[in-house]
Amino acid sequence: MNALHAWLTLVGQGFSEWLDAWVRVSRFAMTALIGMLSPATYNKATRLVVQKQIYFTAWQILPGFCVFAALFSYLIIEIVGITARKYGLYEYALELIVRILVLEILPLMTALFVALRTGAAINTEVALMKIQNELDALQRIGIDPMRLELLPRVVGGTISVLALTAVNIVAALWLTHLAIVDFHPWTLTDGDFTRMIGKVLDIPVLLVLWAKTLAFGFAVTVIPISEGLSTPQKLFHAPISVLRGMVRLFFSLMLIEAAALAMVYV
Amino acid sequence: MTNAKEKSGAKKRVVLLAGDAERRQLIEDHPEAFLVSESLPLRANLSVLENIAVVLQFRTNTYIGEANDTAWKLLTQVGQTGCAEQRDPDLTYEERFVAKLLRAIVLSPPIILIDRPAQLLPDTNYPFFLNRLLLALEGRFEQCWILDYAWNAALYTSRA
Repeated sequence: MNALHAWLTLVGQGFSEWLDAWVRVSRFAMTALIGMLSPATYNKATRLVVQKQIYFTAWQILPGFCVFAALFSYLIIEIVGITARKYGLYEYALELIVRILVLEILPLMTALFVALRTGAAINTEVALMKIQNELDALQRIGIDPMRLELLPRVVGGTISVLALTAVNIVAALWLTHLAIVDFHPWTLTDGDFTRMIGKVLDIPVLLVLWAKTLAFGFAVTVIPISEGLSTPQKLFHAPISVLRGMVRLFFSLMLIEAAALAMVYV
Repeated sequence: MTNAKEKSGAKKRVVLLAGDAERRQLIEDHPEAFLVSESLPLRANLSVLENIAVVLQFRTNTYIGEANDTAWKLLTQVGQTGCAEQRDPDLTYEERFVAKLLRAIVLSPPIILIDRPAQLLPDTNYPFFLNRLLLALEGRFEQCWILDYAWNAALYTSRA
């Protein structure tokens, strides 16, 4: 009986901590959203931090990541194209490519890449700032850390995810045209290509795509920051904070992806 | 502060405290004061120059170039331009202290509290160092209070 009681207490504590963490993330997300939309947030110092964040998150990795995304896209386009042709379904290849690659894989891949690179870095940095009391130090000299250090990272990170996704989608569409219409002009023409793109990427689908990308961008910065802020002021908690932040971020990205899929297909 | 003993200069005051509780109370009683303390570190990913300039830039919405110029002038005034581009882990105790002090001084606050200088400058003859530094910065601040413990009073007798 005692063992059962202890086990139930442990499970209850775990659930309570899990719930608390999500409440913290939600609260911070709401505060960040209001802060992002408030003109009072922005001044010359905060705009500079936003620029730096965009530089480190998007501009610095742009060439390498775009080459990788283009190669990956081309591989998927060729595989889908060749397989579809083999089974006599070539007319469906283009729609399949746009639906799988442009609407699903590229936005998710970009978000995961930024989450791994920037999200982990932001989580570590905020956790260390919290542990070393840098946030209080800023507050004490009259600088609101939320405005100077945290919100610009959310804004910069979100813009970066949107920009990288847009660039990758444009590159993928161009490669699709190249692979399906230019290199292997079996049945499709320029007109077919344009019509198909217009048919698949209609207004509701585009709205869901950009809403999803926006949510990805918001999540890859908000969750690591929120996790970093809740780190206890002990150095050994830093890796635990990053670990928790990254796991929470991964599940959030998957949840956003599933919700977007449900909106389009269910 | 009933127990605090003060040794006054024109703008510099050495406040000698009986213990930690008194020190905390004094800091709490002066929320308007800018604190230079071991517990309030510099931003680790900013250089000394940026740490000083960002205060001006954020608080007064100054252009980055202008804020950097002001920060550079302050560093020149105290003869510490050599550490301008360095970040916190690469600084000596003296350089770190100067960066913290200039970060507090840049907006000319009414009071600057230097909290336990022995902790901030462990390898330095700090009464002499502080005297020289504050003299170099005369006109940049209204009042500077050095919070130290009464058992260090002897350190200030010949120099305060």
